[in-house]
Amino acid sequence: MMRSKIYMVMCIVAAVLINTAQAQEPQRKVTPVKPSTNKVLTPPKGTDEKVIEQYLSGDSTQARAQEIKDSLARIYPHYPTLTELGLGLNFSDALLMAFGQKYSSFDISATLNMWNRLQPVLVVGLGRAKDTSDDMNFTYTGRLSPYLKLGANYNFLFKKEPRYQLYAGVRLGLSTFKYSITDVSVNNSYWGEGNYSYDLRNIGSHALWGELLLGLKVGIAGNWSLGWEAKFHNLFSYKKSDNGKPWYIPGFGTRGSKWAFGISAYYTIPLSRDRWPAVDDKNKIKKAARQHNATQ
Amino acid sequence: MKKKTKQVVLIALSALAGLATSCNNGNCPGNSNAIPLAEFYQDGSSVIINNLTVYGIGAPGDSLILDEASASSVYMPLHISTGNCCYVLDYNTEGLEADTIKLEYDAIPYFESHECGAMFNFRITGIEYTLNAIDSIAITRTLINNDDVASIKIYMQ
Repeated sequence: MMRSKIYMVMCIVAAVLINTAQAQEPQRKVTPVKPSTNKVLTPPKGTDEKVIEQYLSGDSTQARAQEIKDSLARIYPHYPTLTELGLGLNFSDALLMAFGQKYSSFDISATLNMWNRLQPVLVVGLGRAKDTSDDMNFTYTGRLSPYLKLGANYNFLFKKEPRYQLYAGVRLGLSTFKYSITDVSVNNSYWGEGNYSYDLRNIGSHALWGELLLGLKVGIAGNWSLGWEAKFHNLFSYKKSDNGKPWYIPGFGTRGSKWAFGISAYYTIPLSRDRWPAVDDKNKIKKAARQHNATQ
Repeated sequence: MKKKTKQVVLIALSALAGLATSCNNGNCPGNSNAIPLAEFYQDGSSVIINNLTVYGIGAPGDSLILDEASASSVYMPLHISTGNCCYVLDYNTEGLEADTIKLEYDAIPYFESHECGAMFNFRITGIEYTLNAIDSIAITRTLINNDDVASIKIYMQ
């Protein structure tokens, strides 16, 4: 009797221990499989053979990723490294002189359009100034002097044709020049020295400056384009003399100015024209874009 | 030329015209002449001298710079061609003799800017003075240009 009771207690203890042990183990979850998950994905028509092979090998996830990547590549037209060379003539000062500006700079530029995005730019030009203000006591003459600018543009419209460009750019400018201050008339009224005069001739100077610019270029006819640029510029350094500071710096403008505006005419020479995206590719590109958007 | 392009060109030209007309010269930030400014000090702080007359010796018509005025500073215009000039500070007080200040300097032709024009700067090379009411004089800036700041400090007894 006693023995049977002991067996019963042992059985109960064993049952409790087993239950506890089962409770500590993580319960196995069973997720039901939808029949559609097992469906084999089929590639759309016109898919690259490599991608199709990936589909056939069963790696449809990798194949799908590759397909999306390829469709993205089809959306943006890719221009060759050397897309075109633009030669420009800046004639904005010629217009501004008609509005009374007393100085002028004329420059030519060479712009190499790479991938229709990045555009290294070289600018060389000449500038001069002549001002005899009625209300001032001097004549300022800036001799015709050269200047040089180096920089680059970034075309925000790289997906469009190169005929239309909206770009931001940076330039580093350098000029060496000479200027004269003549017909100076100083009136020292207290000491009775009326119209004390002097001339300062051929004062040499040089200047280094930087420009940040925003530009727009529009094709007008054939290979000809017009461009507009708004520039913020700042002098990094310039040479003062014992007799004064320059008023006009060729390629920069007046020393105290911060903003400038430019208009240029460009003639563009296409490079690697055979590697440009064809015009009839546009529809294909649009179609690819629509397909890409539909798959998202 | 397309209609849109024409519009863009017209807008750009209008902006250019606006820019050209708005880019006028500002005013000269300093004086239009280089004239040394002298300030009066006593016991280390600025002081106003009452009833003061100041004039340059040899100025045409004996013209006065100050005529029995109260002043804490005075502009002392320099003679360009002579390289030196003398000023009299008359205190108009019984028993107190006038002081004389002689400045020596070099005149330097200088083009300051388009707005300020061409002028002469001066570099002070020497100073002599009497000590009737003046204790001492300090030249704080030897280069006299069109900056509107004091270059001479006159310490009174």
